[in-house]
Amino acid sequence: MVTSYQWISTGTGALVAAAIFYLVRRDHLHGRYALWWLPIAVVVAVLGAYPRLVDLVGPVLGIHYPPVLPLVVGFALVLIKLLMMDIERSKSERRLQRLIQRVAILEGRLRHTPPVEPEEY
Amino acid sequence: MEAEAAAATPVSEAVSWVAGSRKIAHFGERVVGLRTKQDTATAGRERRGFVVLIPARNEDATVGEVVRQVRTSLRTEVVVIDDLSEDATVATARDAGAVVLPLAARLGAWGAIQTGIRYALACGYEMAITMDADGQHGAEAIPALHEVVSSGEADVAIGAFLARGSRPRRLAWAFFRYLTGLGVEDLTSGFRAYGRRAMVTLATPDATLLEYQDLGVLLLLRANGMKITEVPVQMRDRVVGHSRVYSSWLTVGYYLLHTGVLCLSKTGRRLASPSSVAQD
Repeated sequence: MVTSYQWISTGTGALVAAAIFYLVRRDHLHGRYALWWLPIAVVVAVLGAYPRLVDLVGPVLGIHYPPVLPLVVGFALVLIKLLMMDIERSKSERRLQRLIQRVAILEGRLRHTPPVEPEEY
Repeated sequence: MEAEAAAATPVSEAVSWVAGSRKIAHFGERVVGLRTKQDTATAGRERRGFVVLIPARNEDATVGEVVRQVRTSLRTEVVVIDDLSEDATVATARDAGAVVLPLAARLGAWGAIQTGIRYALACGYEMAITMDADGQHGAEAIPALHEVVSSGEADVAIGAFLARGSRPRRLAWAFFRYLTGLGVEDLTSGFRAYGRRAMVTLATPDATLLEYQDLGVLLLLRANGMKITEVPVQMRDRVVGHSRVYSSWLTVGYYLLHTGVLCLSKTGRRLASPSSVAQD
């Protein structure tokens, strides 16, 4: 007999997975971000439908209180994601800064063209 | 200045992008050269001497005078890099005869200086001399800095004012000196002459994200084998305004933390060239 908790769990999992699929399909989440989120969607859907799976996996990993497993894994993934985001941000900032510099140089040279063959910079 | 601007050909005709095939490998950034019709006509002209770079933010009270002094005593191009000033800095600098590079967003002192260095490279200058816009640095000291670099004695000459700074500031410098092994007395002086090798190193994407122009820049230069020398100079009192890094405990704290971490990540990478203090 299917309990209400199972309905809620399966429903939530399916909803989250569906949302991610929808975002990918509509290209709101695209490219490599989709690559990260799709597996998560699958895992969330599966665990939502069969939460007891953690009871199987937990002891194998030496975890005595299996429900903690999704939490630990989820947290680790969040940390990784944040790290990746900071690295990305650094790259973006660098590109943006150099772009701003190039525009300023262009504007300066527009008004005042020095009489020498310019070099690469 | 105005006559030159009128003679320049319209942007749409004159400017054509030439895609440089050189890629800075680890960042995948393509370096592009900008050529105008006038430029192509004068191709092959020999390289020019030095340019004076002045990063400025809201210094309209003093920048005009500084620019004028340099132009009259040295007859060299002066470039003011405007870090999104809200006052009349740009107009004042232009009136005084400087080339102004207006930044579209605030990049800070180092971001502004790097802009100037990239401009200097684009124009073919052999040397770039940076100074402050607030009147603390005197144009009369520039020839000494120029001499040290042009004679080949060093790649970078720092105009050092050895007696300045409060106790806490000097303690901080001594600490960083110890951490990094950089034998530079006046670490934060913005009065420097950069030779061409130094300019090329400092124009790279590696140098872009440095937040302060002092330690990060010197460490990068040393890691690339540059020789750094100090030249004692007289520094005048700041007429108007105040130090931005030391303006509050919060900014000092952040500065110390940030620079400390930078030192930690770079110590141990001591390379060949020791720095020295020029003997008078």
